[in-house]
Amino acid sequence: MKLKSIILSLALLCFTGVFAKDYNASIFGIKSNGTTLNTTSIQKAIDLIHEEGGGHLNFYVGRYLTGTIELKSDVHIILHEGAILVGSTNIYDYNIETPNTALVYAKNADNISITGLGVIDGQGRDVAYSLLDQVHKGIINDQLKYDRPANRRPKGIYFRECRNVEISGITIKNTAEWVQVYDQCENLKIDKITVDSKAFWNNDGLDIVDCKDVLLTNSFIDSSDDAICFKSHDATKMCENVEVRNCVARSSASGIKFGTVTRGGYKNFKIINNKVYDTYRSAIAIQTPDGGVIENILIDSLNVYNTGNAIFLRIGERWAKNGVGSMNNITIQNVYAEIPATKPDAGYPYEGPIEDLPRNISPASIVGLPGHDITNVTLRNIEIVYPGGSNKTYAYRGIKPADLDGIPEMPDRYPEYSQWKELPAWGFYVRHAKNLTFENVTLTAKEKEYRPAIVFDDVKGATLKDMEYNFPGSGKKLFKYKSTEIIQK
Amino acid sequence: MKKYKIFIFSLLIIFSLNLSAKDYKASLFGVKSDGTTLNTGSIQYAIDYISENGGGRLVFYVGRYLTGSFYLKPNVTVQLEEGAVLVGFHSVYDYFEVNGTKALILADTVENIGITGKGVIEGNGHAVLKSIEEQIGKGYLDAGQLPAKPALINFNACSNVTLDEIILRDACGDVQVYSRCKKVKINNITVESTSLPDSKGIVISGCNGFTLSDSYFETSGTELSSNNTSKDVSVSGAVNSKGKKIKAAK
Repeated sequence: MKLKSIILSLALLCFTGVFAKDYNASIFGIKSNGTTLNTTSIQKAIDLIHEEGGGHLNFYVGRYLTGTIELKSDVHIILHEGAILVGSTNIYDYNIETPNTALVYAKNADNISITGLGVIDGQGRDVAYSLLDQVHKGIINDQLKYDRPANRRPKGIYFRECRNVEISGITIKNTAEWVQVYDQCENLKIDKITVDSKAFWNNDGLDIVDCKDVLLTNSFIDSSDDAICFKSHDATKMCENVEVRNCVARSSASGIKFGTVTRGGYKNFKIINNKVYDTYRSAIAIQTPDGGVIENILIDSLNVYNTGNAIFLRIGERWAKNGVGSMNNITIQNVYAEIPATKPDAGYPYEGPIEDLPRNISPASIVGLPGHDITNVTLRNIEIVYPGGSNKTYAYRGIKPADLDGIPEMPDRYPEYSQWKELPAWGFYVRHAKNLTFENVTLTAKEKEYRPAIVFDDVKGATLKDMEYNFPGSGKKLFKYKSTEIIQK
Repeated sequence: MKKYKIFIFSLLIIFSLNLSAKDYKASLFGVKSDGTTLNTGSIQYAIDYISENGGGRLVFYVGRYLTGSFYLKPNVTVQLEEGAVLVGFHSVYDYFEVNGTKALILADTVENIGITGKGVIEGNGHAVLKSIEEQIGKGYLDAGQLPAKPALINFNACSNVTLDEIILRDACGDVQVYSRCKKVKINNITVESTSLPDSKGIVISGCNGFTLSDSYFETSGTELSSNNTSKDVSVSGAVNSKGKKIKAAK
């Protein structure tokens, strides 16, 4: 019986392998000259391949100018080495009246892929300025949030409710908004991709939104907004069973981020053997500001260089109707991080904004809300090297009760490690947390600090084992405030 | 009676128009926030346009705005929102001078001008100095130009000048120069300029009415330099990085 089913699956495999038809782009009149707008001919090709039962659409070397194309079930786009899918710079070539307008769009499509060593170039800066120009002329109505179009900036890839999706080998460059979004997709595989996008604001490198069964491997992501980003837009959905391995992230926001929008939540994540560098904000940020549930997250083997902050865990309450979320069972281990005194992303286009001043170098932080503790966090084999050298004339936060109680809770603020301006610790600031383990954690400050290395405020139960503190002078190591059952071994 | 009402009504309208100076977003004039586009021409056009149309604020939102020298005109305030950075271009040839002092932001004999908001003005001092030295070395620039390193702000014979909240960083020369100005009010600013030697925080001369309050200075030169030719100078709540209160140095 078992044998039969194996043979049957083998036969099925052979069948799909043999009969997946190959189509070359040129047979549909698609031009590789870089000047002919190919939107309709590419769409015709996709529709035809889809109707004929699926197959590969092959793009060979050349520049293929296009507006929005919609991928359909069983259609596989292969961008061979030297092939570039080039986004039109005319905003009216995109599906701008569809929410989540994108260069490559798919909704409810199964078995789709974009593979090969080719490139998708969104030309996003020019697209955004084309849109802005239409807004200023009064033809498109947009309120210009922060002096940039709030809506209708095309993404690079937007796939919604798709199953069996593969993206591999390709390079995605310069989109006008988020680079690629997989929203409520199942069985998503992303391997060996390169993202290079510093073209405009909100260039998130990769957004996985409410997806199930995701494997992201061997990829390089350099983007002006968050690089590898998990989101949860739907309170009835969540991101589940996600594995990220062997990736490198660079960002003028955060490197690996859970959030910002977190309605449903995140469960069962393994993020293993990754690197973050030249990143403005946090290397790893896990946040639930909108009622989402976060559970069972493992971060293992993370190397961090020239990055503004190592670790940021936060429960917030931005939208009262969603209630307050939770964060439980977070393990972060085998991390080495170097925090610089200067701006980590200086010189990259669209540098992260200078804000929340005045403050000295901010510590890593784990901050819940009163009555909503972050629970069961283990930090093991961690080394964070800070520049130190804080100046209390420039910014000061002491450790007297009035100082510590004076730190606002800020539940409704957009969560960011810098949001409290000056914090009272240089290594770790922990507030409203329960059951923490710090094991073999080394904190180094190169220059003198006026603040203690660690401040615990409202921590209920923590074990600190094999801690190492290196700093010049005679500052405090751990300062406990309103905290109970703190065991130091 | 009716005429009287209309008269009052129009007066009210005129009054309220004056009170609420108009805001113009920088992007309206094609100013780009990418940190790589040189925006001098668009910023100057915007300021001239706003001034000619009754005044208002030129508002910069989050982003880096590369620029060379520009002149403030009557009734124009540059508003730098939090996260907005005006970045000085590296080339010395993009800086103009008033009264023998080059600066990123210049104003000459104008009134009602200001620079406000939590944003930053960044002088890019090292790169500008390198450009000056290179050009002197090649013989294109007179060696006498070296002392005239660009300041961030140089206002001459202006009145009703407001600086509020802004962060001034990394000047090539001095940070701010005010000569023969009347009613200068500087409040709650942060000055950090230490990467090149002898960068003075503020240099005033011949001013009548100068108020500095609640500000922080970390400068390689004197924080506030006054040559005793100014009248009615008041300083309160200004400190340096060592926590010392700042007084007008004579």
